[in-house]
Amino acid sequence: MERHETVTDEDPGPLVRLFGLTGGRARPPGETFDLVAIVRTSRLPFEPAGLNPEHQTILSICRRPTPVADVAAQLGLPLNITRVLLGDLRSDGLVTIDPPQTADQTIDERTYREVLHGIRRL
Amino acid sequence: MEFAGSDRLRPAGRSLAAATALKILVAGGFGAGKTTLVGTISEIRPLHTEELLSDRGMGVDDISGVETKVTTTVALDFGRITIREDLWLYLFGTPGQDRFWFMWDELSLGALGAVVIADTRRLQDCFPAVDYFEQRSLPFVVAVNCFDGARRHDPAKVRRALGLDELTPVVMCDARNRASVKDVLTTLVTHAVGAAYQSVP
Repeated sequence: MERHETVTDEDPGPLVRLFGLTGGRARPPGETFDLVAIVRTSRLPFEPAGLNPEHQTILSICRRPTPVADVAAQLGLPLNITRVLLGDLRSDGLVTIDPPQTADQTIDERTYREVLHGIRRL
Repeated sequence: MEFAGSDRLRPAGRSLAAATALKILVAGGFGAGKTTLVGTISEIRPLHTEELLSDRGMGVDDISGVETKVTTTVALDFGRITIREDLWLYLFGTPGQDRFWFMWDELSLGALGAVVIADTRRLQDCFPAVDYFEQRSLPFVVAVNCFDGARRHDPAKVRRALGLDELTPVVMCDARNRASVKDVLTTLVTHAVGAAYQSVP
Protein backbone atom coordinates (compact mmCIF):
# COMPACT_ATOMS: atom_id res chain seq x y z
CA MET A 1 0.00 0.00 0.00
CA GLU A 2 1.47 3.27 -1.05
CA ARG A 3 1.08 6.08 1.35
CA HIS A 4 1.75 9.54 0.13
CA GLU A 5 0.56 11.77 2.86
CA THR A 6 0.00 11.83 6.53
CA VAL A 7 -2.37 14.35 7.93
CA THR A 8 -0.75 15.59 11.07
CA ASP A 9 -2.86 18.49 12.20
CA GLU A 10 -4.10 16.58 15.23
CA ASP A 11 -0.64 16.12 16.64
CA PRO A 12 1.58 19.09 15.96
CA GLY A 13 4.21 17.99 18.49
CA PRO A 14 6.93 16.72 16.14
CA LEU A 15 6.38 19.60 13.75
CA VAL A 16 6.82 22.14 16.49
CA ARG A 17 10.08 20.47 17.41
CA LEU A 18 11.23 20.42 13.79
CA PHE A 19 10.46 24.05 13.23
CA GLY A 20 12.25 24.73 16.47
CA LEU A 21 15.35 23.61 14.63
CA THR A 22 14.80 26.29 12.03
CA GLY A 23 13.59 29.02 14.34
CA GLY A 24 10.14 28.69 12.79
CA ARG A 25 11.30 29.29 9.26
CA ALA A 26 9.86 27.19 6.46
CA ARG A 27 12.06 28.53 3.64
CA PRO A 28 15.84 28.64 3.44
CA PRO A 29 17.57 32.01 3.26
CA GLY A 30 19.12 33.06 -0.04
CA GLU A 31 18.97 31.61 -3.51
CA THR A 32 16.78 28.52 -4.00
CA PHE A 33 18.39 25.18 -4.64
CA ASP A 34 17.32 21.93 -6.21
CA LEU A 35 16.53 18.61 -4.55
CA VAL A 36 19.63 17.13 -6.12
CA ALA A 37 21.90 20.18 -5.90
CA ILE A 38 25.34 19.11 -4.73
CA VAL A 39 26.35 20.27 -1.25
CA ARG A 40 29.96 20.48 -0.16
CA THR A 41 31.44 21.43 3.17
CA SER A 42 33.77 24.28 2.39
CA ARG A 43 35.24 24.82 5.81
CA LEU A 44 34.73 23.73 9.37
CA PRO A 45 33.73 26.39 11.86
CA PHE A 46 36.20 27.76 14.38
CA GLU A 47 33.54 27.60 17.03
CA PRO A 48 31.35 24.58 16.39
CA ALA A 49 29.62 25.29 19.69
CA GLY A 50 27.44 27.78 17.86
CA LEU A 51 25.97 25.04 15.71
CA ASN A 52 23.29 22.54 16.64
CA PRO A 53 23.98 18.80 16.21
CA GLU A 54 22.07 18.67 12.91
CA HIS A 55 24.27 21.40 11.44
CA GLN A 56 27.34 19.50 12.56
CA THR A 57 26.06 16.25 11.06
CA ILE A 58 25.49 18.02 7.73
CA LEU A 59 29.05 19.35 7.76
CA SER A 60 30.29 15.83 8.37
CA ILE A 61 28.13 14.25 5.61
CA CYS A 62 29.05 16.90 3.06
CA ARG A 63 32.80 16.52 3.34
CA ARG A 64 32.06 14.35 0.33
CA PRO A 65 29.91 16.11 -2.28
CA THR A 66 26.34 15.01 -1.50
CA PRO A 67 22.99 15.82 -3.15
CA VAL A 68 20.40 17.62 -1.00
CA ALA A 69 17.94 14.69 -1.05
CA ASP A 70 20.60 12.37 0.33
CA VAL A 71 21.48 14.81 3.08
CA ALA A 72 17.80 14.88 4.15
CA ALA A 73 17.53 11.11 4.08
CA GLN A 74 20.73 10.64 6.07
CA LEU A 75 19.63 13.21 8.63
CA GLY A 76 16.18 11.67 8.82
CA LEU A 77 14.65 15.14 8.54
CA PRO A 78 12.02 16.48 6.14
CA LEU A 79 13.38 18.11 3.03
CA ASN A 80 12.31 21.64 3.77
CA ILE A 81 13.74 21.52 7.28
CA THR A 82 16.98 20.20 5.81
CA ARG A 83 16.95 23.00 3.28
CA VAL A 84 16.63 25.67 5.93
CA LEU A 85 19.57 24.17 7.80
CA LEU A 86 21.58 24.00 4.57
CA GLY A 87 20.67 27.61 3.80
CA ASP A 88 21.97 28.64 7.23
CA LEU A 89 25.26 26.85 6.68
CA ARG A 90 25.58 28.46 3.27
CA SER A 91 24.94 31.91 4.75
CA ASP A 92 27.71 31.19 7.24
CA GLY A 93 30.05 30.21 4.42
CA LEU A 94 30.41 26.67 5.73
CA VAL A 95 28.91 24.85 2.73
CA THR A 96 28.55 25.54 -0.98
CA ILE A 97 25.43 24.47 -2.86
CA ASP A 98 25.50 24.18 -6.64
CA PRO A 99 22.95 26.37 -8.41
CA PRO A 100 20.11 24.62 -10.28
CA GLN A 101 21.07 23.33 -13.70
CA THR A 102 19.02 22.04 -16.58
CA ALA A 103 19.64 18.52 -17.85
CA ASP A 104 21.24 19.78 -21.04
CA GLN A 105 23.71 21.79 -18.99
CA THR A 106 24.81 18.71 -17.10
CA ILE A 107 24.77 16.08 -19.83
CA ASP A 108 27.25 15.92 -22.65
CA GLU A 109 27.84 12.98 -24.93
CA ARG A 110 30.36 11.40 -22.62
CA THR A 111 28.04 11.64 -19.61
CA TYR A 112 25.19 10.26 -21.68
CA ARG A 113 27.26 7.21 -22.64
CA GLU A 114 28.43 6.75 -19.06
CA VAL A 115 24.84 6.82 -17.82
CA LEU A 116 23.71 4.28 -20.42
CA HIS A 117 26.64 2.02 -19.62
CA GLY A 118 26.05 2.44 -15.88
CA ILE A 119 22.42 1.32 -16.17
CA ARG A 120 23.25 -1.64 -18.40
CA ARG A 121 25.87 -3.05 -16.08
CA LEU A 122 23.57 -3.05 -13.04
CA MET B 1 31.12 0.44 -24.79
CA GLU B 2 33.60 2.99 -25.98
CA PHE B 3 34.22 6.26 -24.26
CA ALA B 4 35.62 8.58 -26.84
CA GLY B 5 38.34 10.61 -25.28
CA SER B 6 37.86 9.14 -21.84
CA ASP B 7 41.60 8.89 -21.39
CA ARG B 8 42.07 12.57 -21.91
CA LEU B 9 42.14 15.01 -19.08
CA ARG B 10 38.92 16.83 -18.49
CA PRO B 11 39.17 20.45 -19.55
CA ALA B 12 39.79 22.55 -16.49
CA GLY B 13 36.88 24.46 -15.07
CA ARG B 14 34.16 22.53 -16.86
CA SER B 15 31.05 21.98 -14.83
CA LEU B 16 30.89 18.39 -16.05
CA ALA B 17 34.03 17.61 -14.10
CA ALA B 18 32.09 18.45 -10.93
CA ALA B 19 29.83 16.13 -9.01
CA THR B 20 26.52 15.76 -10.80
CA ALA B 21 23.20 14.23 -9.82
CA LEU B 22 20.62 13.60 -12.52
CA LYS B 23 16.91 13.25 -11.84
CA ILE B 24 14.45 10.86 -13.40
CA LEU B 25 10.81 11.07 -12.33
CA VAL B 26 8.64 8.00 -11.97
CA ALA B 27 4.96 8.81 -12.34
CA GLY B 28 1.76 6.85 -12.73
CA GLY B 29 -1.53 6.16 -11.07
CA PHE B 30 -1.96 4.94 -7.52
CA GLY B 31 -0.75 1.34 -7.26
CA ALA B 32 0.66 1.28 -10.80
CA GLY B 33 4.06 0.18 -9.53
CA LYS B 34 6.08 3.38 -8.99
CA THR B 35 7.57 2.32 -5.67
CA THR B 36 8.20 -1.20 -6.98
CA LEU B 37 10.07 0.08 -10.02
CA VAL B 38 12.26 2.39 -7.96
CA GLY B 39 13.00 -0.41 -5.48
CA THR B 40 13.86 -2.88 -8.26
CA ILE B 41 16.60 -0.76 -9.76
CA SER B 42 17.92 1.27 -6.82
CA GLU B 43 21.30 0.23 -5.44
CA ILE B 44 20.11 1.18 -2.00
CA ARG B 45 16.85 0.47 -0.30
CA PRO B 46 14.73 3.39 -1.49
CA LEU B 47 15.35 6.35 0.74
CA HIS B 48 12.45 8.04 2.28
CA THR B 49 12.06 11.65 3.16
CA GLU B 50 9.20 14.00 3.69
CA GLU B 51 8.24 17.46 2.69
CA LEU B 52 6.24 19.39 5.22
CA LEU B 53 3.49 21.39 3.68
CA SER B 54 1.75 24.49 4.78
CA ASP B 55 -1.70 25.62 3.75
CA ARG B 56 0.04 28.12 1.57
CA GLY B 57 2.33 25.52 0.08
CA MET B 58 -0.59 23.38 -0.88
CA GLY B 59 -1.89 26.12 -3.10
CA VAL B 60 -5.16 26.40 -1.28
CA ASP B 61 -6.67 29.69 -2.26
CA ASP B 62 -8.33 32.23 -0.04
CA ILE B 63 -5.62 32.15 2.58
CA SER B 64 -4.38 35.67 2.10
CA GLY B 65 -3.31 37.08 5.39
CA VAL B 66 -3.49 33.74 7.12
CA GLU B 67 -0.27 32.78 8.75
CA THR B 68 1.47 29.76 7.29
CA LYS B 69 0.47 26.64 9.13
CA VAL B 70 1.87 23.22 8.51
CA THR B 71 -0.84 20.64 8.10
CA THR B 72 0.43 17.86 5.90
CA THR B 73 3.52 15.93 5.00
CA VAL B 74 4.10 14.45 1.57
CA ALA B 75 6.24 11.33 1.56
CA LEU B 76 8.86 11.22 -1.12
CA ASP B 77 10.62 7.97 -1.93
CA PHE B 78 13.68 7.93 -4.03
CA GLY B 79 16.28 5.50 -5.28
CA ARG B 80 19.82 6.00 -6.41
CA ILE B 81 22.12 4.53 -9.03
CA THR B 82 25.79 5.44 -8.82
CA ILE B 83 27.16 5.72 -12.35
CA ARG B 84 30.67 6.53 -11.19
CA GLU B 85 32.24 8.54 -8.42
CA ASP B 86 30.44 11.88 -8.30
CA LEU B 87 27.85 10.99 -10.95
CA TRP B 88 24.49 9.73 -9.71
CA LEU B 89 21.10 9.00 -11.16
CA TYR B 90 18.19 9.62 -8.81
CA LEU B 91 14.74 8.17 -9.34
CA PHE B 92 11.93 10.07 -7.65
CA GLY B 93 8.48 8.59 -7.27
CA THR B 94 6.05 11.46 -7.78
CA PRO B 95 3.38 12.14 -5.17
CA GLY B 96 0.08 10.72 -6.30
CA GLN B 97 -2.52 13.29 -5.41
CA ASP B 98 -3.39 16.07 -7.78
CA ARG B 99 -3.04 18.70 -5.11
CA PHE B 100 0.67 18.00 -4.94
CA TRP B 101 1.31 19.17 -8.51
CA PHE B 102 3.49 21.96 -7.18
CA MET B 103 5.96 19.32 -6.04
CA TRP B 104 6.03 17.94 -9.55
CA ASP B 105 7.07 21.39 -10.73
CA GLU B 106 10.07 21.26 -8.52
CA LEU B 107 10.89 17.64 -9.26
CA SER B 108 10.68 18.12 -13.01
CA LEU B 109 12.88 21.21 -13.06
CA GLY B 110 16.14 20.22 -14.69
CA ALA B 111 15.11 16.54 -14.79
CA LEU B 112 16.52 14.29 -17.45
CA GLY B 113 13.11 12.79 -18.14
CA ALA B 114 10.28 10.74 -16.75
CA VAL B 115 8.86 7.24 -16.75
CA VAL B 116 5.06 7.08 -16.78
CA ILE B 117 3.94 3.68 -15.55
CA ALA B 118 0.69 2.60 -17.11
CA ASP B 119 -1.52 -0.05 -15.58
CA THR B 120 -3.60 -1.38 -18.46
CA ARG B 121 -6.49 -2.08 -16.12
CA ARG B 122 -6.65 1.61 -15.31
CA LEU B 123 -5.02 3.31 -18.23
CA GLN B 124 -6.85 6.55 -17.55
CA ASP B 125 -4.94 6.95 -14.27
CA CYS B 126 -1.83 8.03 -16.12
CA PHE B 127 -3.53 10.68 -18.27
CA PRO B 128 -2.64 13.50 -15.85
CA ALA B 129 1.06 12.53 -15.86
CA VAL B 130 1.15 12.28 -19.67
CA ASP B 131 -0.54 15.67 -19.98
CA TYR B 132 1.81 17.20 -17.46
CA PHE B 133 5.02 16.04 -19.14
CA GLU B 134 3.73 16.93 -22.60
CA GLN B 135 2.93 20.45 -21.47
CA ARG B 136 6.35 20.82 -19.87
CA SER B 137 8.09 19.27 -22.87
CA LEU B 138 9.86 16.91 -20.51
CA PRO B 139 10.90 13.76 -22.41
CA PHE B 140 9.14 10.67 -21.12
CA VAL B 141 8.53 7.04 -21.90
CA VAL B 142 5.41 5.07 -21.10
CA ALA B 143 6.15 1.78 -19.37
CA VAL B 144 3.19 -0.57 -19.50
CA ASN B 145 3.44 -2.61 -16.33
CA CYS B 146 2.51 -6.18 -17.16
CA PHE B 147 1.22 -7.65 -13.94
CA ASP B 148 0.50 -11.32 -13.60
CA GLY B 149 -2.78 -11.98 -15.26
CA ALA B 150 -2.96 -8.53 -16.77
CA ARG B 151 -3.78 -8.69 -20.43
CA ARG B 152 -0.83 -8.19 -22.72
CA HIS B 153 -1.45 -4.97 -24.50
CA ASP B 154 -0.44 -3.98 -27.94
CA PRO B 155 1.87 -0.93 -27.60
CA ALA B 156 0.14 0.64 -30.58
CA LYS B 157 -3.19 0.45 -28.77
CA VAL B 158 -1.73 2.01 -25.64
CA ARG B 159 -0.19 4.77 -27.74
CA ARG B 160 -3.54 5.45 -29.35
CA ALA B 161 -5.47 5.32 -26.09
CA LEU B 162 -3.08 7.82 -24.49
CA GLY B 163 -2.95 10.02 -27.57
CA LEU B 164 0.85 9.88 -27.71
CA ASP B 165 2.88 11.21 -30.59
CA GLU B 166 4.94 8.81 -32.67
CA LEU B 167 8.21 9.74 -30.98
CA THR B 168 7.31 8.88 -27.40
CA PRO B 169 8.47 5.32 -26.69
CA VAL B 170 5.99 2.81 -25.28
CA VAL B 171 7.65 -0.20 -23.67
CA MET B 172 6.24 -3.27 -21.97
CA CYS B 173 7.75 -3.82 -18.55
CA ASP B 174 7.62 -5.79 -15.37
CA ALA B 175 8.41 -3.36 -12.56
CA ARG B 176 9.65 -6.25 -10.39
CA ASN B 177 12.20 -7.37 -12.95
CA ARG B 178 15.53 -5.64 -12.99
CA ALA B 179 16.41 -6.40 -16.61
CA SER B 180 13.03 -5.06 -17.63
CA VAL B 181 13.45 -1.84 -15.62
CA LYS B 182 16.94 -1.39 -17.08
CA ASP B 183 15.35 -1.54 -20.53
CA VAL B 184 12.88 1.16 -19.52
CA LEU B 185 15.63 3.45 -18.22
CA THR B 186 17.98 2.98 -21.17
CA THR B 187 15.05 3.67 -23.50
CA LEU B 188 14.31 6.87 -21.59
CA VAL B 189 17.92 8.07 -21.52
CA THR B 190 18.31 7.38 -25.23
CA HIS B 191 15.02 9.10 -25.99
CA ALA B 192 15.79 12.10 -23.79
CA VAL B 193 19.38 12.86 -24.74
CA GLY B 194 20.61 10.23 -27.17
CA ALA B 195 19.03 11.66 -30.29
CA ALA B 196 21.29 14.69 -30.22
CA TYR B 197 24.35 12.50 -30.28
CA GLN B 198 23.15 9.76 -32.58
CA SER B 199 22.60 12.22 -35.40
CA VAL B 200 26.28 13.13 -35.27
CA PRO B 201 28.18 10.98 -37.81
